Amino acid sequence: MSLNIYGTMLDSRLLIGSALYPSPEVMKQAILASESQVITLSLKRQNPNEQSGQQIWDYLQEIVADNFAYLLPNTAGCKTAKEAVTLAKMSREIFRTDWIKLEVIGDDYNLQPDPIELLSATETLIKDGFKVLPYVTDDLVLCQRLSDLGCEVIMPWASPIGTGKGLMNPYNLETIRMRLPNTTLILDAGIGKPSDACLAMEMGYDGVLLNSAVALADDPAAMAKAFSLALQAGEQAYKGGIMPERQTAHPSTPTLDTPFWHQNH
Amino acid sequence: MKIHINGTAYPLTAVQPITLTTALTLHFAEPQQSTFAVALNGDFVGKGDYESTMITSGDSIDVLQPIQGG
Repeated sequence: MSLNIYGTMLDSRLLIGSALYPSPEVMKQAILASESQVITLSLKRQNPNEQSGQQIWDYLQEIVADNFAYLLPNTAGCKTAKEAVTLAKMSREIFRTDWIKLEVIGDDYNLQPDPIELLSATETLIKDGFKVLPYVTDDLVLCQRLSDLGCEVIMPWASPIGTGKGLMNPYNLETIRMRLPNTTLILDAGIGKPSDACLAMEMGYDGVLLNSAVALADDPAAMAKAFSLALQAGEQAYKGGIMPERQTAHPSTPTLDTPFWHQNH
Repeated sequence: MKIHINGTAYPLTAVQPITLTTALTLHFAEPQQSTFAVALNGDFVGKGDYESTMITSGDSIDVLQPIQGG
């Protein structure tokens, strides 16, 4: 099965960020090990005399070619719909893609998305031909409103960006999955361990987007591989059909003809 | 006149408006060698419009380049 991003079918269900790695070379090794086909990046002001930005850009273009991958620019740092729309248009020109990971932050403490500005930016960008991948909280109604606007991909958070706290509210995430069965749902932000990613896939999520969990690991390439395997395990588990949880114990071994059996009560 | 590029003030002797193409040479020695996109006073300006976009005193230009992101 494939991950469906606005009609583009991808083999890997892992989307990975390009920030926070100890070096560009480690970043490249980790992203290649992840086998991810969607790599996020951003735009920022830079000192024109420094070449570091150009070096990263060169590395990312190599990785994209090696992994048959796609770039997913984000609007990190934007706090209003107007800022996000402007940054999205700048990204579209540079990266030649109409995909945009839409982030509009409402609070500096937990980097929680601003739902009002997010909806406004989404509406404007979709009318302008963008394929919007919004980063949102685990709010069902907000996700439904984004779907109504035309978002075919929605990316609820597991927990705040960079915390590694994993799935804060599994009930909300499961409810979003259940109520939006035809939307590509990607769990984005807050993932700490491969088991977090596996849990999302077991819920029926279509993919996972992460960055810090790999970039800040002792061995990012090894962790990238672990995440890749965790997603595959979770996907297979979902397809396999997880047994219903039960309140009481049931013996695994057949009880018929049990030796020494006698009725206690 | 005075304009800002990425928050840095550039006092100019010119009193007449200058093109965005000219203004960018204040930031880059050779803009054509770099990967970047531009916003003028918070609005995107496409590459095809640099030569016809006039910069006047008080204008603020953002020149953004690719960087790592999550």
